[in-house]
Amino acid sequence: MTPKNALRYAYYPGCSLHASAGEYDLSTRELFKKLNIGLTEVPDWFCCGATPAHNVDELLSLSLCAKNLELAEQVEGDLAVACAACFSRLKTTQHILSESEFKRQQVEKAIDAPVPLNGNVKHLLDILARDLGLKRLGQAVTKPLSGLKVACYYGCLLTRPTDVPNLDCVEAPTIMEDVLQAVGAETVAWSHRLECCGANFTLSRPGVVVQLSHAILDSAKAAGADCIMVACPLCHGNLDIRQKEIEGVYGTHYAMPVFYITQLVGLAAGLKADKLGLDALIVNPMPLLKEKQLI
Amino acid sequence: MKKKKMLLSAETMDISFVRKVEALSGTSVRRCFQCGKCSAGCPMATFMEHPPNRVVRLLQLGQWQRILAGRSIWYCASCETCSTRCPNKVHLASIMDALRKLSWDAEGPSKESYVQLANKLFLQNIRTYGRQYEMRLAAVFNVKSGQFLKDLMLGPKLITKGKLKMFHQKNKNMTEIEKIFSRIEEMRKNGEAL
Amino acid sequence: MSRIGVFVCHCGENISRTVDVERVAAEVGKLPGVAFSTDYKYMCSDPGQGLLKKAIREERLSHVVVAACSPRMHEKTFRKAVESAGLNPFLCEMANIREHCSWVHEDRDEATVKAIEIVGMMVERVKKNRVLPTITVPVTKRSLVIGGGIAGIQAALDIADAGHEVVLVEREPSIGGHMAQLSETFPTLDCSQCIMTPKMVDVANHPRIKLYTYAEIEHVEGYIGNFQVTVRRKARSVIEEKCTGCGVCMEKCPVRKIPNTFDRDLGMRPAIYVPFPQAVPNTPVIDRENCTKFKTGKCGVCQKVCGPGAVDYEQEDRLIVEPVGAIVVATGFDLYSIEEKPKGSSIKGYGEFGHGRIPDVIDGMTFERLASASGPTGGKIMRPSDGREPKQIVFIQCVGSRAREKGISYCSKICCMYTAKHTMLYHHKVHDGQAYVFFMDARTPGKSYDEFWRRSIEEEEAVYIRGMVSRLYQKGDKIVVMGSDISVGVQVEIEADMVVLATAVQPRKGADTLAQKLGISYDKYHFYSEAHAKLRPVECATAGIYLAGACQGPKDIPDTVSQASAAAAKVMTLFARDQLEREPIVARVRETGCVGCFYCKKVCPYGAVEEKEIRDRQGNLVKVVAYVNPGVCGGCGTCQATCPSKSVELDGYTDEQIVAMIESL
Repeated sequence: MTPKNALRYAYYPGCSLHASAGEYDLSTRELFKKLNIGLTEVPDWFCCGATPAHNVDELLSLSLCAKNLELAEQVEGDLAVACAACFSRLKTTQHILSESEFKRQQVEKAIDAPVPLNGNVKHLLDILARDLGLKRLGQAVTKPLSGLKVACYYGCLLTRPTDVPNLDCVEAPTIMEDVLQAVGAETVAWSHRLECCGANFTLSRPGVVVQLSHAILDSAKAAGADCIMVACPLCHGNLDIRQKEIEGVYGTHYAMPVFYITQLVGLAAGLKADKLGLDALIVNPMPLLKEKQLI
Repeated sequence: MKKKKMLLSAETMDISFVRKVEALSGTSVRRCFQCGKCSAGCPMATFMEHPPNRVVRLLQLGQWQRILAGRSIWYCASCETCSTRCPNKVHLASIMDALRKLSWDAEGPSKESYVQLANKLFLQNIRTYGRQYEMRLAAVFNVKSGQFLKDLMLGPKLITKGKLKMFHQKNKNMTEIEKIFSRIEEMRKNGEAL
Repeated sequence: MSRIGVFVCHCGENISRTVDVERVAAEVGKLPGVAFSTDYKYMCSDPGQGLLKKAIREERLSHVVVAACSPRMHEKTFRKAVESAGLNPFLCEMANIREHCSWVHEDRDEATVKAIEIVGMMVERVKKNRVLPTITVPVTKRSLVIGGGIAGIQAALDIADAGHEVVLVEREPSIGGHMAQLSETFPTLDCSQCIMTPKMVDVANHPRIKLYTYAEIEHVEGYIGNFQVTVRRKARSVIEEKCTGCGVCMEKCPVRKIPNTFDRDLGMRPAIYVPFPQAVPNTPVIDRENCTKFKTGKCGVCQKVCGPGAVDYEQEDRLIVEPVGAIVVATGFDLYSIEEKPKGSSIKGYGEFGHGRIPDVIDGMTFERLASASGPTGGKIMRPSDGREPKQIVFIQCVGSRAREKGISYCSKICCMYTAKHTMLYHHKVHDGQAYVFFMDARTPGKSYDEFWRRSIEEEEAVYIRGMVSRLYQKGDKIVVMGSDISVGVQVEIEADMVVLATAVQPRKGADTLAQKLGISYDKYHFYSEAHAKLRPVECATAGIYLAGACQGPKDIPDTVSQASAAAAKVMTLFARDQLEREPIVARVRETGCVGCFYCKKVCPYGAVEEKEIRDRQGNLVKVVAYVNPGVCGGCGTCQATCPSKSVELDGYTDEQIVAMIESL
C-alpha cells in the first residue's frame, strides 16, 4: 500500500525500453519501487514517432504524441518518461500545439479527440531531483557511490531547444550532476556532455555515429571519468553497443561502462545487480564496480 | 560537382515554396542574417555539401531545388543545437523537418536513400505494429538497402543480452493507429493539411 | 457663434493614400460652427501656412482646426501661423489623422469615416477654447551636467567657456569615465589618457565648473529654466578641502588586495584609494565595505598618517540643492556581460561561451586595460589565468549585439572598429602572435574608418573569418573555439590562448531610475529617447533636458564629443534669453466651488498647488482654497481628475470640452 500523499505517476516507457533498453525499464521500475514512487504504465501506448516521424511528417509526429498524451489521461498522476527522445517529442508536441491553434485543430481532427495540453510531462531526472528532491534522494542512499567518477552525458534532447523541455539550462545544465552528487558519486567537468552522439544514424549511417561518439568517449576519458551516465536509450546504444567498433576504427581503448541514470541511482539505493540489468550492458561494468567496491 | 549559375528573377525565386516551409516550420526564413553560428556548432556539418547556413540562404533565394537535390537535409541529426543558439531565433531544426517533408512529398529527389529508407521503414512499423521493433527494423533495413552483413557482428551479442527481442506483442488498440494514419491521408487528399 | 476654419492636410501621400481628404474637408464643412474648410498637399509648407493665414483674415475665422499629423510634430508651427494672422494661438488645435488614422489603417472608406470623426471631435473641442495669455518665467542661467565621462566633460567645458556656471555630477570617485580606461583610440591610435587627462584637469581648474564626484542625483523638481536638483554627495570619508592628494594614506593602508574595478579586476587596490593615478579630483575615497576600520572598528592607520587631517570616518552623505535652468544627461554606457542572468530577465547570458567562467575569455574593455601602458600589466598582454603571453588570440564580434535571442537586437556600433584596433595593438606587442577575428559584417562608416580596418588585415596580418562562433570550451590550458567560415562553407576550429569578446554596449545600470527622476523617456533597452530621431537628436521631449553620448545610443568618441557640444549649444541658446515663454496650458481653480480639501495639493507632481485665503471686506477669513501657481504647473491634469467638487480645470482639456468631444461621436 502506498500512502495517500506518496508520489505516483503514469509511466510511458517508449519502444526502446521494451526492447534494446530493457535494463533501463527494469532499473526504473525497481528504483521507483524502492523509493516508494508509484508507476502505472499507460495501457496500450503507441510509439511517439521519434525522430523519423518529425523528420518527414510533422503532423503525424504531433498526432502520435497527442494520442499518447490522450491515452495517458486514463492514468492518475503526471506522465513520467524515461527516454530522452520520447520526452522531447511529447514536450515539443505540447509546445507546438499550444503555440499554434491551426496545428492543434489539425491534430485534433487526426486523432478525433481533444489534446490534453496542460498535463505535466516529466523526465525521470525531474522526478528524482525535484519531485522527490535531492534531500530525500540522499536519505534513500544505503551505498554511496564514493570514488566513482562519472561523466554525465545529456546529449541533445533533454535540454534543447530553449523553452521547450525546460528541464534545465540549455547550455549549462546541472540536473544530472546534482542527482549523482546526491547519491555520493563524483562528477567530472568535461567538454562534450551536450554534443550529439549521432542519434538514429546508427541504423542508416553508422559511420556518422562512430565519428561523433568517438569524440564524446575521448572527451570523457580525457576528463578522467570512470564511466558515462546517460538518460537516453539511443545515446546508450551509440556509446555502449558501438564502443568496441569505435575502439577498432580509431585504435583506442576505453572500456568505459555506460550506465543509465536509474542503474547508478539504484546501485546507491542498495539494489542488486540483477534488479538493475547490469548484465545487459555491452561494456562490462563489473570490473569497475568491483574495483570501487560498489558490488 | 558542377555549380550552375543562379539566374535570379521573380519567377526563378520560388517564394511560394518558402512560404510553405515557413508555414510548416512555424519560423521565419528571412530573419536569418547569415552569421553562420548554426554551421559552426552543427555536429553533422562535415557530412553536408551545403552547411546549414547555406541551406537557409538558398531558401531565402527560393532555390529549393538545389537543397532538395543534395544530401544535407538528410544528414541533419535533429540535435537542435542550431535552433538553440541562433541569434535570430530562427528554428532551423524545424526548417530542416519541413524541407524533408517537402522532399518526401516530391518523392525524394535526393540521392540520400539510406536515411530515407530508414525513416520509411520506421513509419511503416508504427502503422503496422503501433510500436517500434528494432530487430525487425534493422533486419528489413539491411535487406532493403542490400547491406546484408551490416552490423552482423553485433547481432548475436545483442540477442544474448536480451536487447533484440525475436517476438513481440501487438497493441490491442491497433485500429486506432490505423485511423490516425488514414485520417491524415484523407486530410491531405482534401487539401486540409500540408 | 464661432466661425471655425478646418484645414485638412494630405501630408504628401502619407494621409491622402488612405484617407479621402477631400471628402473629409467637405463633410466637416457641414458641421455647425464651421465656416470654412479646405484641403492642401503640404499644410505645413510656406504656401500651406499662407493659405491658412489668408483664410483667417478673409473668412474672419474665430477658431482653427488643422487636420494633419501629431501635435508633437507641428502644433507649434500652426499656432505660430495663427498668431501671425492675428488670432490667439491657443484657439488653434490639431486633429491627428496621420499617426492615429492613415498610418494605422488600410481600408480607405473606414479610415475616411474615422478621420471625419477625429476632426469633428476637435471642432467641438476648439469651440470651447479660451484665449490664453502666454506665461513668461525667468531663466536660471546655470546648467547641470550628469556624468563625468568624455560627453559630460565636453558639455561642461563648452557651457562654462561660454560664461555660464556648470554643476558637474559624477557617480564614481573620479571623472574620466570609460575613455580614461582605454589604451589607444581609433582611427589614429593616439593614447587615450594623453588626450583625455588635460580635459579632466581643465574641468577641475575651471572657475565656473562646480564638480561633485562620488555623488548622485537624488531628485529633480521644476521645469525648463527653473529646475531644483538635489544632489547626494556620498560620504567619501576624506574631506576634499583638506586633502592634498599626497597619497600616503593609500601607501600605508594595510588592506591591499581589493580588485580594482577600473582595471576590470585585473589589478589590486587598497581600501582607501583613487581609481587610477591621474584621477580628478586626486582625493581618495574609503571603500567602507572593505575597510577594516568600518568593518571592525580597529585600524585607523590612514587617519593617523594623514598630515592635513583630512580623513573623517564620521562623514555622512550630504544632500545639496542646486538651482539650474538646463540639464545635460551624459551617463554613458555599461558593457554587456556573458554571465548567467537571473531567471525572468529579458537579457540572457552566453552559456555556450561558458557564462564567464573560462578565465582567459575576456571582454574588450579588459583587453584595453591589458594593453594600456598605465594598466595593471604595464601594457603587457598576458593571460589572467597564468600570466603567459597569448600566441593565438581570437576576437569574437557581436557578442550580445545583434542577438535577438539574447534580448538585444541592435548593433553596438563601436565594436568593429575597436576590435580592428585590438588586433593592431596585439600585433605591435606580440610580434610572433596571430590574431583571428570572427565577424559577420565589418561596419566602418566613419572618416578613415574603413582604411583603418583594412590596415589591420593588410598590414597587421589579422585573419578575419566571416562567421560566428557556436561554442567555446576549455581544453587543457587552451580554449577551443568552434566557429565556421561561411565564405568557404566549412567549420573552423582554433585552439586559442585567449579569447576577447566584443560585448554589447548597454545603457548604464540604473538609467531607468534616473530617467524617472528626470521625467524623460527611454526605450526598451533603457537608452534615453531624443525628441526627434532626425531633427531634434540632442533634446529630450521634456523641455530643458538634453542628451549627450552613449546614454542615448551606442556611440564612439568623435560622435559623443560632437553630440556633447551640440547639447551645450542648445543650453547656450536657452541661456541667451532672460525670460522664457511657456505654454499657458495650466490648471485653474474655480474658487467658489473649492471646498479646500487639498486633494489636488497631495497629488500634484510639480508642487504647484498652494493654499490661498479668501477674506471678506472686513478682513475676516471666509475660507481657504487651492491656488495653482501657473509658473510651476506642468499641465498634467492630475488635479482635475482628483478634485471631488470639480473645481479645478485644465485649460484646453476641461470636462466640458471632453464631454463635447464624446458627444460629437
